[in-house]
Amino acid sequence: MRRPTSGFWLVLALFLLWEVSARTGMVDSPNWPPFSQVLAALARDTLSGEIPLLVGSTLARMFAGLAAGTVVGVAVGLLFGASRLATRVLGPTVELVRPIPIPAIIPPLVLFLGLDNGMKITIAAVTAFFPVLTNTAQGLRAVEADQLAMARTFGVPAWRRLFLVTLPAILPYVMAGLRVALALALVTTVVAEMIAGEQGVGHYLVLMQFAGRAEEMYAAVLVLALLGYALNRGFLWLERRLIGWFFATGRDG
Amino acid sequence: MRIERLTALLPGLGFLALLLAGLEWAVNAGLVRRALMPPPTAIWEVLSDLIASGEVLGPLFATLRLVFIGFAIGSAVGIALGTAMGWWGAAYRLLEPLVEMLRPIPKAALVPPLMLFLGLGDTMKITSVSLAVTFPVLVNTLQGVRGVDRVLLDSARTHGWGTARVLRHVVLPAALPFILAGMKTSLGLALIITVLSEMLTGQGGLGFLILDMQRSFLIRQMYAWLVILALVGLALNAVFAWAEGRALHWQRRG
Repeated sequence: MRRPTSGFWLVLALFLLWEVSARTGMVDSPNWPPFSQVLAALARDTLSGEIPLLVGSTLARMFAGLAAGTVVGVAVGLLFGASRLATRVLGPTVELVRPIPIPAIIPPLVLFLGLDNGMKITIAAVTAFFPVLTNTAQGLRAVEADQLAMARTFGVPAWRRLFLVTLPAILPYVMAGLRVALALALVTTVVAEMIAGEQGVGHYLVLMQFAGRAEEMYAAVLVLALLGYALNRGFLWLERRLIGWFFATGRDG
Repeated sequence: MRIERLTALLPGLGFLALLLAGLEWAVNAGLVRRALMPPPTAIWEVLSDLIASGEVLGPLFATLRLVFIGFAIGSAVGIALGTAMGWWGAAYRLLEPLVEMLRPIPKAALVPPLMLFLGLGDTMKITSVSLAVTFPVLVNTLQGVRGVDRVLLDSARTHGWGTARVLRHVVLPAALPFILAGMKTSLGLALIITVLSEMLTGQGGLGFLILDMQRSFLIRQMYAWLVILALVGLALNAVFAWAEGRALHWQRRG
């Protein structure tokens, strides 16, 4: 175990200050429950199964969207890499759509897809699409021409070259894009839940704010913080397992 | 050179025109429900009215103001803390656990609690945006400051430079590419959080209007404001890319 640093004591002191300021009435507000009550609310709603259910539904939508956005992002990236014409024709449209802040496309999407899963999965997919596309294109530029030429010399057919040479070579880049996409998709999925419909952790958070149940509201913020942390950690682990060779050869993105 | 760049854009613009024309045709042919997707020309009419009457300015400036102030505060805090943490080990040990604890919180989740404390006005919105901006800038600054070439630092010390001078003239310029990369990420986040906080509070500029128009079934207006917001995003990115290019011109030459 590491020796606790000054930073550890600072965090502890801040939590203590939260607890004390709420209990002694230094901050006398119904919006400022003691930290212990937030933890109690978190434990209560976790044991009752409510929070696990909400987290599960949020994650399911987020991952469905991520998967769809990644597949489309890699496909379009490969198309751009294969054909200059495609880049010229489709590129400007992609660049025009990219800077639209995701929350702004929720209202029109609601018109077409309603308030439920379809809309939210699409939001997560759109979020994932752009960073994956950018990184796929970047990865394709880095694929060694020698490798492809050699595969061609040995008469490996085009579709097998795609799976045996190109896709493994761009995997590290796609993963880097996916890591950006993962953090963003959690944000946009929660945002979509906040703005429309009655699903997931995002909706729960806003509902508790309106209901004036501050403990539950902060518990939801804690849950999202833990999710953000766990997702990033999980992803780093997956990245090491999948593309450890990439870092081992001393190259980086 | 310029002509070549313009002709390179032609196929893309042609495709975009074709897309809009196709949409216009599909709506008029009844393939897309007019209530959900008005023809682009109808949206254009609303859009040109909004611009010609000057009605666009109020909401546009309201949103831009939030983005700019929040971006400026968040960047300043991020650069200051990141530099301190990268330079002084004591500051790093003190703040690192706190930063690592706050960083993974999706900042959108902080908007509802902040609404309870700071109300629905600009203070809340600017605080939310600043918080979202701070962390990517902080982390990148930290990385940049730590990566400064030791030889540069040693030679500055050899010349008897004080800490302030070294930070100002050696460390910050060397870390600038990292800082700007963090700020670029943050700019997108700033716009997202601005729009979200306008939507959740039901007050303010472009984000509020887009949601409000949808809920009032003023669909053409909704699309018109969305186009304006898209242009804002595009313009902000372009301005940032231009500024980044100017700030880092020495890097490519060197």
